[in-house]
Amino acid sequence: MAISRRSFLKGSSLAAASSLVAPSLLGNPFVRRAFADTIGDRYFLSIFLDGGNDGFNTVIPASNGGGSLRDAYDTARTTGAGGLNVSPSELTNTLIGLDPGSGAQLGLHPGMTGLKQLYDLGKVAVIQGCGYPRQSLSHEEARMAWQSGTPPGTNIGTGWIGRYLAANYGGNDIPGVCIRNEVAGEMRQTATSVLATSRMQSLRFPYDREFDSDIARKRAAFLGLYQGAAGATLPMSAYVGGSGVSTLLATESYNGLHDLYVNARGTFNQAYEDADRSMARDLREAAKVIYGITQGAENVHARMMQIANGGYDTHSDQGGGQSDGQHFDLLAEVGNSLKLFYDDCVDMGVADKVVIMVWSEFGRRVSQNDGGTDHGTQYPVFVLGGSVTGGVYGNHPNIDELALSDDGNTVYSQAAADSFRSTDMRDIYGTILKHWLGMPHQTILQNVLALDSGDPTQRWTQENFDMGFLA
Amino acid sequence: MGNATSLLTEADARLLLRRAGFGGTPKDTTKIAKRKLTRAKVVDGLFSFKPKPLKLKKDEGLDQFYDTWLQAMLKTKKPLLEKLVLFWHDHFATNNTTVQNSDWMIRQNGLLRMMAKGNFRSFLKAINTDPAMMDFLDTLRNRRREPNENYARELMELFSLGVLDEAGMPNYAQEDIVQIARAFTGWRLDDDDNPVFREDAHDFNEDFPERGPKVIFKDRAPFGASGADLTSRGEGAVEIDVVIDTLLLHQDSEGKSTVGRRMTRRLFEFFASASPPTAVVDEILMQSGFATTWDITALVKAILVHDTFYANAATPPFDVNTKKSVKWPIDYVVSTLRLLKVVPKRDKDRGVVLENSDTLRAHLEDMGQRLFEPPSVFGWDWEAGWISSATLLSRFRFARDLARNRDKGKENFHPEKLVSLALTAPGAILNAAAAVLGIADQLSDGDRTFLIAYLTDDGAQPTLNLNDPDLRARKLHGLFALLLECPAYQLH
Repeated sequence: MAISRRSFLKGSSLAAASSLVAPSLLGNPFVRRAFADTIGDRYFLSIFLDGGNDGFNTVIPASNGGGSLRDAYDTARTTGAGGLNVSPSELTNTLIGLDPGSGAQLGLHPGMTGLKQLYDLGKVAVIQGCGYPRQSLSHEEARMAWQSGTPPGTNIGTGWIGRYLAANYGGNDIPGVCIRNEVAGEMRQTATSVLATSRMQSLRFPYDREFDSDIARKRAAFLGLYQGAAGATLPMSAYVGGSGVSTLLATESYNGLHDLYVNARGTFNQAYEDADRSMARDLREAAKVIYGITQGAENVHARMMQIANGGYDTHSDQGGGQSDGQHFDLLAEVGNSLKLFYDDCVDMGVADKVVIMVWSEFGRRVSQNDGGTDHGTQYPVFVLGGSVTGGVYGNHPNIDELALSDDGNTVYSQAAADSFRSTDMRDIYGTILKHWLGMPHQTILQNVLALDSGDPTQRWTQENFDMGFLA
Repeated sequence: MGNATSLLTEADARLLLRRAGFGGTPKDTTKIAKRKLTRAKVVDGLFSFKPKPLKLKKDEGLDQFYDTWLQAMLKTKKPLLEKLVLFWHDHFATNNTTVQNSDWMIRQNGLLRMMAKGNFRSFLKAINTDPAMMDFLDTLRNRRREPNENYARELMELFSLGVLDEAGMPNYAQEDIVQIARAFTGWRLDDDDNPVFREDAHDFNEDFPERGPKVIFKDRAPFGASGADLTSRGEGAVEIDVVIDTLLLHQDSEGKSTVGRRMTRRLFEFFASASPPTAVVDEILMQSGFATTWDITALVKAILVHDTFYANAATPPFDVNTKKSVKWPIDYVVSTLRLLKVVPKRDKDRGVVLENSDTLRAHLEDMGQRLFEPPSVFGWDWEAGWISSATLLSRFRFARDLARNRDKGKENFHPEKLVSLALTAPGAILNAAAAVLGIADQLSDGDRTFLIAYLTDDGAQPTLNLNDPDLRARKLHGLFALLLECPAYQLH
């Protein structure tokens, strides 16, 4: 039976409450890292391609196989001026597996040579046709659906990773870091702390620098005030107190990760610098956190990280397979940045401990407009990492004109016999939670992901948390 | 035991002005205590305002209106109105990210303002056809062919009944949502964006016999086995008013007014503290008569004169039963600026700006509250939901930016005008500064020790000469920053 969204909220507030009333935890803000230890030093990165990435030009049918995917693609994506068609010959260097539904040969966009290298190492799961029922074409609503792990209209206030964190960490922990200035929607909850900082170097306590001589005294007073509150019997004081202590210490512990990394890992640091792309720079921040943990940096226990990269809302001037195109440039940035980060992780000895999911709020319209694409529905997600079982998962959506909805988009389907059956985002989340983050199957259904009710061919009424890309 | 006729002490007055407004200056609270006024008398005074929509200049967008609202909060002599509007903005949470229409958002703000202390029945009926709400919860897309349940669900779950009653029993079933959604079909906006009922878009019983009659709450008190018929006053436009009238009659599993209890709880949690016992909820509801009159003013007054409200004036050491609430970011920013007599300028391009710092809107957003953008229909997450490392650092940044402005124009921070420079004893200076912020009695002995250690450089200078501008710039500005950052000031 599907549980109500209210019990999700209740669940997280109960988790918060339990952390409020556990006096033994108050002395040491990081004592709850015990749970983190039970999943080992495993990391999960959520990478958001903001704007709606054109999935049909990201994983492209190079042939028809037993169906007509390539023909349908050629109908929808034109050649010539403004045409977005990526030809089979442009795909020769980035071919991956076959589409499970049709047998069509698939290729990554020619810009994604970096990702292709990782695919050839068997470290990339290409998961096709991802979405959810009643897909929204609004950026905001669609993003919130992916972040919350609930279809639009469900109006849940927390994120899917957030609910996982709330169930496992206490108020004084910092199990998540967003490499940006706000807490990302997928991490949102109230039971535990998530740092939001675009650069470790700039995560600073806001001291008044005019009187340097006062800073040490200011810090002592601040820490004393907040430690006092953390030890108070009034639960809300204790919560605020603990949060303040962990915040102050985080500004000190995370801040040093920058120098630690830069001094020890000059070659990779320079490689990120030379890449000169925001995704590479953001991934370097994640690398700093991970490297710090491998070096035993004090009070650094983050397990979840989030990165967002914009520019995917390619309504016009999208470009096809040529290297001077806008979409080529975006996808090259993704592929090359991920390759660099993966190599860095290998070099740090943690490649097997990092799983990355690359997602967007929606794909784009099957048929292109003049030189771009409008908002669409299902699209491919990438999950990669040293422990990932690479390959193609899920079916390419049915892009035949006759199969599209009134607005020209592919249609979400959960019909078991459908060779174009969609992959629900919640099966990806559940597989990650179960096989990577150690959350029991039933707990996932109770605390994090609720099954839909309704028509089982059009709603997510049966979970599959064993998709296979994580053992 | 006290009640409406109990005299307001100075500590009570501080609490009342903090919760029903944006804090009182030491002068305000001393004056109230000296006049030996009853709780009821002071509370009546807080309610002596006539609501008016905020004026907006032509062609100004939502950000400008936001600034106008901020300036109104900073200046107003009737802060309770603003507090109520904030409550209703959260209760009927609507965000412009979804609505994408500044005019409708501004219009909704006007409605919240006009109805803030009025009649709750009329308020709900007005919200039914508020354009921003009609868009936000899909009434505009509620079609007879496939009725959209979005508004029907939230109307019951969030705006009136709640999912569960005080005893933890469900208040309604999915079938009730379906039937209410049908009643809301046919409502659209005309060319002037005014709500209009379109008969041809409405779901009449005879058109869809398979859906059964529009009857809700079968087998529920006081409706009995046959339930409440939403077409009892005819089919068509009147149905949505009947929905509201029916919801207000709804009784919970204990035979009490479901909406009465829930609104009492919500308003108590807003003005006083989380999780009041059911007995307190029932007592306030009974004393207010809200469950029959639906008079919001009577309900809020009953809360603001109740003993349980004044229990929150408690001084440290707090025990585990003490109730304190986390200040909303908007409360933190507005009350701080008011108490410190800082009046941020409104820059033509940027908006209302803290000198040498960001706009107030940006500060508030960093702290987790952007007005007109509640994160979802649930509104903002209160209490612990306001606190994270990122939001705390944002509060501290605001405190730092405000307090480090030295020797700037008179609209900026000037602690020398707030604290007597003749004071030399660190304890007395601390008391004076904390009193300005209304927290002198909220600091524990431990807090005082740490703050005095800061002032005296760990005892190196046992007295302070505040007439020394350098020392004042360092320690008095620094002390205020610490007080704005301290845990006691995050709570109220």
